[in-house]
Amino acid sequence: MSETTGTVPKSAVARPATSRLHLPLSLSAREALAAYLFLTPFMVFFLIFVVRAVITAVNMSFYDWQILRPGQLYVGLDNYVELFNDYVWWIAVKNTIVFTALTVFGTTVVALAAAVAVTQPIRGQSVFRVILYMPTLLSVGVVGLIWVWLLSTQFGIINYLLSFLGIRPINWLGDEALVIPALSLTTIWWGFGFPMLIFIAGIQSIPDQLYEAARIDGANGWQLFWYITLPLLRPTILFVTVTGVISHFQVFGQPFIMTGGGPGRGSYTVIYYLFEIAWRAFRMGYGSAVAVSLAVIIAIFTAIQFRLIGRRVEY
Amino acid sequence: MTLLETYVFRNSGKILAYALLISLSIFVLFPLLFSLSQSFMTNQEVNRWPPPMIPTEPTLDSYRQLFTQPDLKLPIWLRNSLFAAAAYTTAVIVICAPAAYAFARLRFPGNNLLFGLLLLTIMIPGQVTLIPNFLLMRDLKFLDTFHALIWPGAANVFGVFLLRQFFMQIPRELEEAAVLDGASYWGRFRHVILPLSTNALTALGIFVFLAHYNDLLWPFVVTNSLEMRTLPVGLQVLNSSYAGQYRPLVLAGAVFATVPIVVVYIIFQRRIIKGVALTGMGGR
Repeated sequence: MSETTGTVPKSAVARPATSRLHLPLSLSAREALAAYLFLTPFMVFFLIFVVRAVITAVNMSFYDWQILRPGQLYVGLDNYVELFNDYVWWIAVKNTIVFTALTVFGTTVVALAAAVAVTQPIRGQSVFRVILYMPTLLSVGVVGLIWVWLLSTQFGIINYLLSFLGIRPINWLGDEALVIPALSLTTIWWGFGFPMLIFIAGIQSIPDQLYEAARIDGANGWQLFWYITLPLLRPTILFVTVTGVISHFQVFGQPFIMTGGGPGRGSYTVIYYLFEIAWRAFRMGYGSAVAVSLAVIIAIFTAIQFRLIGRRVEY
Repeated sequence: MTLLETYVFRNSGKILAYALLISLSIFVLFPLLFSLSQSFMTNQEVNRWPPPMIPTEPTLDSYRQLFTQPDLKLPIWLRNSLFAAAAYTTAVIVICAPAAYAFARLRFPGNNLLFGLLLLTIMIPGQVTLIPNFLLMRDLKFLDTFHALIWPGAANVFGVFLLRQFFMQIPRELEEAAVLDGASYWGRFRHVILPLSTNALTALGIFVFLAHYNDLLWPFVVTNSLEMRTLPVGLQVLNSSYAGQYRPLVLAGAVFATVPIVVVYIIFQRRIIKGVALTGMGGR
């Protein structure tokens, strides 16, 4: 920690005015001094709230850290051992992975389809873009309140619409098998606008000549998409799915607002469980172990994605 | 082929695109309009089958309740959200822009090391810092104050990346002209770089503002008095106490929280839409 702080020489920062006036500093020294001054405010906050916090989280995960106790107990790897034997943690991890997979897949497909459609030479492009991006700007609180009601078993409009297909009322948020897909659907509705705009930018950066050449060769619309758009969008897809996985792995608001983790523990997610441990049971050490393990899981999944989609991005 | 068939065949791509976009627009708009419409209904009407779409006798009852129930402080929650988000956004810009300039333009020992450290932390999910920063807020006696809502996220690494990227695209010659006029590093940053970066700064500002305005978990854990809650947290309070007995009230709360966002969106929609591509940020 002290070594990291050492990279910003506090001494240099402390006496800028005098050194500029009295010391015959070389041009490069003056430039470096200016740089450190520009960086200081940011680095202060960064070191306190990011670097220190991450190091503290890792450190705390080796303690039995109870918030209301003066001295804390070092327990080595006990928290991690407990984690691996904690069936609730496994439920939370499984739910989180299923939720993330469904949401990232659904979001990417819907966003890509919408982006391809909106970049066709049609009228009203900007109106569609504005409409489809709108839900992304809502708070998860608002989204949760709206969708709980839409998904209601007894009075929900979704069950009403399904009744036209002869489907009997479904208990979306009260059925262990359906609650995660239901939260996922809610999240896709909420969030596909952002990757859609990213895909639109990606599609617009593909040179027109490629499509023209392919059309002269007699390619149809589907072939244009499959052999030109999709391969050239590979880096964009990588960006969208990697950032999607990282953010959806940290899902909290949807179960918190819509289900309270239920039914039973059917929609416990990792961050929801962390919240329960740290702010309902006040076990900050164990909570930190959950947080650190989540970071490791996310890192593993990110690496897998780079392997799967990342190869051959040099188109 | 008939004329119609030929037309359909020639334009099948366009027709498909329209069909898809119109169905997606309905998918997006329907839940919003449905909630808006039901917020003007009575509790009895909402709990009816089939679910009514249009209120038979529109009433402002739930909105009246929204502002008169003693445990609901929506105007205060809105004020808290707006103030905290505005202060946070200012802090991010003021702190991150100079740092981004240093990384983009200035040569100094430790440049790569510091930038590598920033890169490293962007891989770490933000929630890892939740518990340590909460405990720090507690130790600093910042819990349940605006300090807790403003400072912990102010070192926005993403903001630095974004602005650095943008500053690097500004031709160096423009700065060199200022150097000949005797401008200091601060002068170059303040009078050459910043005025040329209003697009990037506005886009960053909008997204940082929206993300903060919509945040739920952090304000939930660092505030606890009814007077310090933010709007998303307050909505959760509203939901847990009224969803069972008075649904239109909850929907009215959702509408109330959404109106400022929709206003911002209508004013800035061009900048927001362009800003997403420019910044790779989405607003939460």
